[in-house]
Amino acid sequence: MSAYLRQVFAIVRKDILLEFRSKDRLVAMGAFAILAAALFNFSIDVASVRPRDVIAGLVWMTLVFGGLLGVGRTFHLEAEDAAIRGLLTSPAPKDAVYLAKVTVNFVLVFALSVVVLGVFALFFAVDVNAALLPTVLVLALGSLGFVALSTLFAAVSTGTSMGETLLPILVFPLLVPMVVFGAGATSRLIAGRPFAEVAGNVRILGAFAFAALAAGAVLFRYVVEE
Amino acid sequence: MSDEVALRAQGLVREYGAVRAVDGVDLTLRAGEALTIFGPNGAGKSTLLGMLGGAIRPTRGEVSLRGEPIDGATTSWRSRIGILSHRGFLYARMTSAENLRFYGELFALDRVEERVYAGLDRVGLADRARSEVRELSHGMRQRLSLARALLHDPDIVLLDEPYTGLDPSAASVLRDVLSELRDGLRTVVVVTHNLREGLAMATRVAIQRGGRFVWEGASDAFDPVDFERHYHATIEEAA
Repeated sequence: MSAYLRQVFAIVRKDILLEFRSKDRLVAMGAFAILAAALFNFSIDVASVRPRDVIAGLVWMTLVFGGLLGVGRTFHLEAEDAAIRGLLTSPAPKDAVYLAKVTVNFVLVFALSVVVLGVFALFFAVDVNAALLPTVLVLALGSLGFVALSTLFAAVSTGTSMGETLLPILVFPLLVPMVVFGAGATSRLIAGRPFAEVAGNVRILGAFAFAALAAGAVLFRYVVEE
Repeated sequence: MSDEVALRAQGLVREYGAVRAVDGVDLTLRAGEALTIFGPNGAGKSTLLGMLGGAIRPTRGEVSLRGEPIDGATTSWRSRIGILSHRGFLYARMTSAENLRFYGELFALDRVEERVYAGLDRVGLADRARSEVRELSHGMRQRLSLARALLHDPDIVLLDEPYTGLDPSAASVLRDVLSELRDGLRTVVVVTHNLREGLAMATRVAIQRGGRFVWEGASDAFDPVDFERHYHATIEEAA
């Protein structure tokens, strides 16, 4: 294995180990998803609105807000005892640090998106099985684009006095295209439309994720260097 | 001591807005030399050490290791530097061995397990390999941090206030390990307020105030009492 991949895997393994020991982000994101689904369930009058028409938007909103709860704390693992300085003064390239953080965040946010889809389908009694795989693919691409962008901005906001409060202000405007195309594709797939009808949306989501990853890998160094 | 220049800093300046923390420091250290930098709070010592270790980017000036300039574009030079700060760079919810193993992987070392246990043994923590860092005392954490800083056998070692908050036994372990570093091959830079310990481990001494070196000289020209007088006189003169 190359030194680069070894360094990426070392950070991924360390972050996952710390996540399972502290469970901070897992608990916060999971609880948020379930509570959001419960609240939306009570706040939507199913006699006047068909759940099938609104579920995609609700899933994506929960994904974005719940995801930010977790991604915003990406660098809190490193805050204690100035461990971030140990990471950044090691020979691991900054883009390796970024890719490792994105990988762990992707695992968390993608898992959240699948849980959210399942919980909303259960609460609103909507059958999502017919187009489950394409829907999961859309959520996976959306999760990747989301974490690629928000991990970079989490590094920016961690270094400011406003901290996590700043993160939504920085990230939300940039997430608009992803939410528009992601929620649009999810909505049509849940409505039983063929995958070919959303293939364009999927390509745009893929391009968004790739562009966000490339930009993040290049810019991360400038964000974290003192 | 070798004639080879191990570490060179030229015209180092670091500004934070209107504040100039380091103001034009020039420094040349040969392999085997140990420099201790003294100075009051706010003199810019830690900022200077941060720039020497590549953790802080200079506003102006350049640092080079054995003639190779350090910059953000490459990372290979980082394997030659070991940094011990008064912050440990450790993960509280990981064990001592897990912390060292993680840094071993980051530095892409061979024989990681062997190095981890040799490092723990060196600082007297072999029996705490499976203890989470949050269960260790401050002195133990500082010793573990020293093992982390030396895990990759760096030839330049930078120490920022290594004795802060240590009990006598932890300070003794630290003193023994630091004396091992004076093997004529390694270059050591220490920043400290502890005049006695700092003088004992140095071959050269500098006094920094207002971001500049206001005095530099050989450490063997003074005994600790004389040096303390000299230090206070120099600081007052530079004020």
